[in-house]
Formats: sequence, C-alpha cells, structure tokens
Amino acid sequence: MVSPAIALAFLPLLITLLIRYRYYFVLLYRAVLVRWVQDLLTGLSREERAFQYILTHSIPGDPQSILDTFDHWCSKVEFISNIGPKKGKILDRLLEEIRPLTVLELGTHCGYSTVRIARSLPLGARLYSIEMHEKNAQIAEKIIRLAGFDDDTVELVVSPSDEVIPRLREDYGVEHLDFVFMDHWKRCYLPDLQLLEGSGLLGEGSVVLADNVVFPGAPNFLRYVRNSGLYELRLHRASLEYIRGIRDGMAELVHRGVK
Amino acid sequence: VKNERNPKAKERDTKRKLEIHKTTEQKTENKKRKRSHSKQRGKRNIDDEDKGGEQISKQKKNRKNKKTKKLLTEEAEGEGYITKQKKKRRPQVDEENANATKQMTPEGPPKKKKRAKVQVESSSESEDSSSEKESSEEEEWKVTALTPEELEKLKEAVDEKKKLITILRGKPWPMLKKLQTLKESHDFLEKFEGALGKGKAKKLYAYKVMMLKALMGKPYGSMPRKTVPRAEQASAMDFAVLWDFGVREASASFLQNPHLNPNGLFCQLKSWNQSFLLKGYAKYSVLFYGYYNSQRAIGWLKFRMPLSYFLVGVGTVAYSYMVVIRTMARNANEQGGGDDTNFNFSWKMFTSWDYLIGNPETADNKFASITTSFKEAIVEEQESRKDDNIHLTRFFRVLANFLVLCCLAGSGYLIYFVVRRSQKFALEGLENYGWWERNEVNMVMSLLGMFCPMLFDVISNLENYHPRIALQWQLGRIFALFLGNLYTFIIALMDEINLKEEETVKLNMTVWMANLHNGTLAENSTAPPITADPADVPRGPCWETMVGQEFVRLIISDTMTTYITLLIGDFLRAVMVRFFNYCWCWDLEYGFPSYSEFDVSGNVLGLIFNQGMIWMGAFYAPCLPALNVLRLHVSMYLQCWAVMCCNVPQERVFKASGSNNFYMAMLLVILFLSTLPAIYTIVSIPPSFDCGPFSGKNRMFDVIQETLEMDFPAWFGKVFSYASNPGLVLPFLLLMVLAIYYLQSTSKTYKKANAELKKKLQAVSSEAISLYCPDCFNIVFKGERGQNQHVTTCTRQSAAVKRQCGPADLHNPSTRPPPAQRNPATHGYLPGNPHQPSLRMQRTSSLKLQ
Repeated sequence: MVSPAIALAFLPLLITLLIRYRYYFVLLYRAVLVRWVQDLLTGLSREERAFQYILTHSIPGDPQSILDTFDHWCSKVEFISNIGPKKGKILDRLLEEIRPLTVLELGTHCGYSTVRIARSLPLGARLYSIEMHEKNAQIAEKIIRLAGFDDDTVELVVSPSDEVIPRLREDYGVEHLDFVFMDHWKRCYLPDLQLLEGSGLLGEGSVVLADNVVFPGAPNFLRYVRNSGLYELRLHRASLEYIRGIRDGMAELVHRGVK
Repeated sequence: VKNERNPKAKERDTKRKLEIHKTTEQKTENKKRKRSHSKQRGKRNIDDEDKGGEQISKQKKNRKNKKTKKLLTEEAEGEGYITKQKKKRRPQVDEENANATKQMTPEGPPKKKKRAKVQVESSSESEDSSSEKESSEEEEWKVTALTPEELEKLKEAVDEKKKLITILRGKPWPMLKKLQTLKESHDFLEKFEGALGKGKAKKLYAYKVMMLKALMGKPYGSMPRKTVPRAEQASAMDFAVLWDFGVREASASFLQNPHLNPNGLFCQLKSWNQSFLLKGYAKYSVLFYGYYNSQRAIGWLKFRMPLSYFLVGVGTVAYSYMVVIRTMARNANEQGGGDDTNFNFSWKMFTSWDYLIGNPETADNKFASITTSFKEAIVEEQESRKDDNIHLTRFFRVLANFLVLCCLAGSGYLIYFVVRRSQKFALEGLENYGWWERNEVNMVMSLLGMFCPMLFDVISNLENYHPRIALQWQLGRIFALFLGNLYTFIIALMDEINLKEEETVKLNMTVWMANLHNGTLAENSTAPPITADPADVPRGPCWETMVGQEFVRLIISDTMTTYITLLIGDFLRAVMVRFFNYCWCWDLEYGFPSYSEFDVSGNVLGLIFNQGMIWMGAFYAPCLPALNVLRLHVSMYLQCWAVMCCNVPQERVFKASGSNNFYMAMLLVILFLSTLPAIYTIVSIPPSFDCGPFSGKNRMFDVIQETLEMDFPAWFGKVFSYASNPGLVLPFLLLMVLAIYYLQSTSKTYKKANAELKKKLQAVSSEAISLYCPDCFNIVFKGERGQNQHVTTCTRQSAAVKRQCGPADLHNPSTRPPPAQRNPATHGYLPGNPHQPSLRMQRTSSLKLQ
C-alpha cells in the first residue's frame, strides 16, 4: 500500500503537467468535449451548427464578413480547425504574390479556406476544391455560394483526393496547377503530393502550401520534401488556429522545375 | 525521361544548351550543328539518347563514354531517319551496344530498370569522369545477381557512398551538383542497404542495423531541434533493496572476523541483536566510522590512526575550500571588468553560427533559433525602453515568488511529516511495516527533488525575465529546495540518533547487568567490587556509523533514481518516439512527447548537490568519496550514451563550466552549508563511547591534544598552548581582517583603472577606424549601442572636433543621449526602432529554410 505522503509528492508533477500542457487541455475540451455535448444537445453536426450561425450572423455575398463570422464562431463558440485568421494572412500574401490561375484545394471541410482563397484569386482563375465527406461538402457548397462565388470560380469535387488527382487532367482539363493548398488528412499529404508529381500537374514555379505540418504534424511529408530536392521548402511558423499556445507551421513548397 | 514530355525538339535543344556541366566537346558540337544546318541530326541524337536513357540506360551510358566522336560520325546519316527513328531505335541501340568498348555486364531484365535508376543516371550524365565511374559501378550492382563476391563489392560501394556523403561538404563542387550527388547517394543507400538486409545470411546485418538504430539512434548533433542530461534527481529505488540482495552475502566475510574490531563490537552485537545484524553486513564495513578503532598507534611504523582520521577529515574540507576559492579568484581575474551587454547584436551576428553542425535539419533549426534570438533581442531592447506595464510584470514576479515559496514550504512540510511518521515507525519497530513505509523518507525526498524543479520551471515562465536571469533564479530555487530537503533530512537524522541511542542503551544495560548478575552468582564470592572497564559495556550501534550509513543510502538511492529516470524518462521515451513516429497521428519528435532535453545547468546543479552530500557525509563514511568517484564515472559513461542516443540539445544554451563563477559561488555556498553540520557535530557532540577512532574521548579534537602531549617534546606543547591563547588569537584575527580590507580596496582601485583604460583603448581604436575608413566604421559600428552612435555623429564633423568629442563622450557613458532620439533614416539598423526590426524580421523569416 502506497502511503499518502508518497502520493502527495506527485502533486508538483501533476500541477506541472497541467500548467505546461494547458493549451492542449483547452484544445481537448473545445474540440472534443464541447463538440460531443453539443452534438447530443442539438442533434446537428458541428458543421451544420457553424453554418446556421453564419447564415444568421453574416452578410451574404461578402466574403470578409463570412470569414469574420467564421472566426468568431470558431474562437468564441466552438472549435473547427480552419486555417484561421493568422495563417490565413500568410495564405493571402502568397496568393497576392503568385496570382495563380489554377488552384487545387485538398480538404474543403466547411469552405472557410475555399472562400479565403477564392476571395484573393485574380480574374479568370479557377479553384478546384476536393472534399471527401458528403455532408461537409454540402455545407461547404452552401457557404461558398453564400459568399458569392459561382461554379466558374470554385468547383467543388466530392471524392477522396487520391481518386480525383489522377483524373484531374482528363475529367477537368487541368494541365498545370499553379497553387495547391493541402489541409485534409495529414497522413495523405505525402501520397497526394506524390500523386501530383506523378500526374505531372506540378511544374516549375508551382507552389504547394501544406497546413498543420507541425501540429498535428506531417513528419514523413516534410522528410520527403527535404530529401527530394524538387522543392524549395519554406516553413512559416505560426500558432495553431484559434488557440494561441500551440505552435504550428505551414510548409510552402516551390517547385524548382524539372531539369 | 522528363524531356519526353515536351514534344518540341527545339525546347530540348535549348535545355541542352543550358546544361551546366557541358563538356567542351559538346559545346563545339553544338556550334558545328548550328553552322552546318544539321540541326535535325543533333536533335535526333539527343532525342534518341533520352529515350534510350529511359528504356535501356546502359546503352546510353556506353554512348556517353564514347561521347562526341560517335555523334559526329552519325551525323552523316540521312534526314529521313528521324521519321522512322521510333521503329529503328531498338536496332540502332543494339548496334551501339556492339560498338561499346568496355561495358561487359550483360543486359539485365527490363523489370530491373526502375525509374530511380534512370534518374540517377541521367543526372550523373552531367558529372565529371570520376563520378561517372561510380555510376557505372552502380549499374553493375543493379544488373547482376547477388553472388557473394558481388555482395562484398556492394558492401564496399555502400561504404563508399556513405563516405561520399560525409565528405561531400568539403568538395569544391557547385551546390547544385552537391545536392544531386547527395540525392543519388541517399537513393543508392536506401535501396541497397535494404537489399543487404533481405538475404538470409544478412539477417544478422539487418538486426545489427536495427539495434544500432534503437540503441544509438541518431547522433546528438544530427538530432533536430535543441541541447543538455536530466538532472541527477532521485526518485524511487533504495539501498535497502541492494542490501536485501547481493550485498549481504558479499560482505559476510567482514562479519566472520571478530578482530576487525578489537572491542568486540561485532560479537556483542551478534549476541544481543541478531535481527539487527540481518539487515545487512555492509553496514559495518570499512566504509564507515565504526569500523575503525581507537588504538593509538598501529604496527611498527606507529601509524596514528585517530589522529590521521581527524586530520584527513578536517584537511579535506579545508582543501576543498582552498580549491574553490582559488578557482573563483582565477576566474575573476580572467573575466576582467567588462560589460557583457555591450555589442550584443554584434556578438549575435558574428558568433551565432555553430560550424560543427552537420545535418540539414539541425542547420535549419539553428537558423530558426538564431532568427528567434535576434527577434527576442530586438523585442527585449524594445521592452527595456518601454516599461509601460512594469506594474503587471512586478505583480507577476511577486506572485511567482509567492508560489515558489508555497511550493518550498509545502515540500518542507511534507518531509517533516514523513520524518515524524518514520520516527513513529521506528519506535514501533520497522519490522512491522512494509517496504513503502520503511523507505518513505527517501522516496518522498527523491520525488520532490525530481518534480519540484519542473514546477519551478513552469512558474518562472510567469516572471518574464531575461533567460539568463531566469536561469539563475531557477537554479537558486532548486538550490534552496535541495538544501532545505537536505537539512530537513539531517535534522531528522539527529532526532533519530537520540531516539535510537536511548533505546539501545537501555536494552544493552539490562543485558549487561543480567550477565554480570549471572556471573557473580556462579562464582559465589562475597561481594567483590565489580570493576568493569567502561568499554566492555555494550553501548549499541554508534550514531556516527548510522549517519554515514544514511549518507551512503542517500547516494545510492540517488544513483538508482538517476539511472531509472535515464532509462525510463530518456531512453524508453526516445525509443517510443522514434518508432511510433512512423505510425502516429501527430509528429512525436516535434510535438508533444518529443525527446527529452539535455539540461546542462540542471546537471551541473545535480553535481554540485551531490558534492555537497559527499562533503557532509565524508567524515562519517570515509570511503564515500571513493564510492562517489565510482558512481560518477559510471554515470558519466551512461549519460554520455544517453545524451547521444536520446537527448536533444536544450532550447536555450548557457555556458556551464568551471570558469563560470556563478556555479562556483553555488559550490562555495553548498560547501559551507554542508560542512557546517559536520563541523558542528565534530566540535560539540561527544563521540560515541564505544565506537570509532575517538572512542573514550570527550570531544573528537582531543586527539590533537593527546598527540601533543605524548608524541612531541614538552616545550612544543607549551608553545602550542600559548599560541592557542585567545589573547593571541584575537589580535591576529583582527590583523587579518584589516589586511583583507586593505587588499580589497586596492584591488577595487586597480579594477577601476583597468576599466578606464579599456574604455580609452576602445575609443582610440574606433577613432582610428573612423579616420581611415569611415565606411568600414559605419558598417562595423552602426547599430551598436549609444556610445558608437555618438562617434558616428562625430565622424561627420571635422577631424579636430572629432578628436575632442569622441573620446570625451566615451569616457562617461552616462552622458549618452537616450537612444530613442536617434533618427532611423540616417543611422541604419537600430535595435530600438519599432519600424526597422519588423522589416528585418520579415526578411529573415522569409529566407529559405533548407
């Protein structure tokens, strides 16, 4: 039988762990517990609740207002792992620099990043957004249309990314991708990048932006990119969306072109 | 391969032209082609070469070897060839194969020609002849089956590749080529190291590689991220366990020799308290005070045991003081009176890079850390100029200290509580309690020593100090904790001494009386006066031995917990991180568990604390230093391995060495505090009557008097007694204090003069630079702190004015204008300027992290 004094000696450890990983506990609470409780209470999915909120609180046709409402909902009400305002600024800046004409987005989720990208695209550009989940895609579609982007600008593809990418050239007539934004399953980053390489859609100057490479993290992806020599890698260090204390980063890959 | 994607031959031609490693023959060939309108032929050649490279790479190689001559001869062929080339390609290639001069390896089955190989070859095409040879070797490996000799060769090739990777950095090649070669070599290694592991006979090799990976991991320098070992804090095992197993048998021989202690302590002990003995025989070994006896002179050399015991015990302490003080004085001399905060940015700029970094990821992280340190320095500079929410900061600091005090008090109370409980247990007899209760004190001390520093670390985040100062606070707090624990422990020990002694003495007296009574009855004599030598009265275990035992116990439990934390906290964690990282949903290496950091300062503190324990216990356990040396050596090797295998460098690295007076001062303090109880016991507590070299004496230092009386002539004793007269000692002490005061004031003056001279020297040198090379001056000194700024303004004036104003201002830095008044437009990069740092930061952050 362990004496109470020895158990008490573990108290500092407990407090230390609580303090040091408080952000992770907050994340756990907001992303898992609150979601679970709300799911039970409302009978709606998290995405549907977000959509309801946006429908009632934002101005239709105004992307900025929709994004702001989204941010507010994610930071104050519940949690959805969108790209968030801070990393979103990096994304905006990159898009300003590149002015891409053909953009591929992997992982639409609720359409936050889709709206964000579509907002800063030049005239005549086209965004292909891929979402695997049927329900999420429906909501994303509604949000995208709410923001005022039509089928010509944003094309939502409901299918797993590894099925869509090889068919992009035939079915969608894509010859070359200027910009690829990855925010789907972290495990799929690497196979999808390799698929993109294999299908020859990436050329010199193509930019691939991968979100959440530090937390939750995509180590294999980074390792591959570093060793492949095909890309110039640049890590944008930031914090996790809507939670300040967790470090995260976005990886920007610039294709060097085939020599 | 890739060229095939572009259908137009012209593009290919231009690409061809752009190739970096074009040989001169190729150049002339290109020119010729252009001139003689045989462009089509040239295109055909390249096209053919590319496709050949894709499908049958060896032929391409052959052709490459033959190079341009052949191309030129082929140009003679007709133009219509191009249209048919696709059909013709195969025979043509065969023909070339026949022409090949030295390629003897047979053509392998087509399935072996993988994409990677083609890439390797196409890139190696542009290399010089030496690497071409290598790539031809590669080809051999790929094509042929693996016979034993070839396996040997393959191994050689793998080794060669490894060597190439290591020396690649030093090769005088362009970066692009280096990258290519590196990639090639990595591919080769990846492919063939696996192949080596596949064969049946090679299982051992694969196993070896795996074990190497698991045990040795990546070398320390290549591990991504940060620098330093978990402090040597204790946690769970105990010496009692060691006693319960091997040690008892090993040291049983000590017990079989009753004359080891002429007073017959062992025999008596054995007779009246068997159970006590069974706890462990090492308790009465040469390790401890009780082993030595009070025989005044031993052997024909007349070795004075008690005297030497005393002198060695006291002399060790005195020598330790001397060494520590001398080291501190030397450091103080070397450091001089410089201000470390000067040239902060220059230091960061020119000395940040670590040229021993040999791994791209580490370099990456070093780069990032330098960037962050710059950012931090800039922010710090800004903060030091702002000071608007100083009240909040102060509040947080007070709060943090309050929390730390609470923590210290809590841990002190817990130890006190545990000690009280242990006394209760001791009174009731330890045999009735389990392992947990018996080792409660040690366990609690170890656990607190391990976890409280972590808590302090977390609390200190609140304070927002500069990292260097924060570290000192942190170390100070840990120090206070350790010391508090140690002192509580000592006090507990003292209490236990009284408790046990009383008990045992009582018991012994009754036993002895009973024996005596029996004896007198048997002899049946009429009341002869019982004259018993007091030494024959059994007094039980002496407290000195017990103190020594407690310290050995402490050291051993400390060592055990160090090793266990090392194995569990570092090694198991590293293994887990390393292997689970392949199949986990987040990045374990960068994210939550990560590798443990090697904490230099914590380790140094552990060493200091350990040294303190040794000093404290050495008098009562004379072999403790030897034990400690053994332990330190073992843990050095163990930790060396652990650091290389499963630690990462700390995020913030601070110098912790013998030349740092901060640590030396700590050592001095702990030396003082640890010798205090030892000296106190020596001077004020009478030694055990029946145990140890001082048995029978009133105080331990009586040995000296005894020696003076018996071994020296009478006049010497007289002189000594005069010299130790307070009337003589006090004036002498007074004189010493005065001398110290005088010397200190003179050294202060010298120091001041030195600092002045330094400043003058600095001023003169900067003036010289500005005289002869104003541009260099601007480059070197712009952006430094106020004084240089001032000189810059001086350079704009005439030379005569400059001579007057430069040094004059440098003499008294207090007259510097506040830096906030500086004009950012004219003075380049200023740390205090809010606009410019942001610009810089943007640039550094957008630099390539490769």
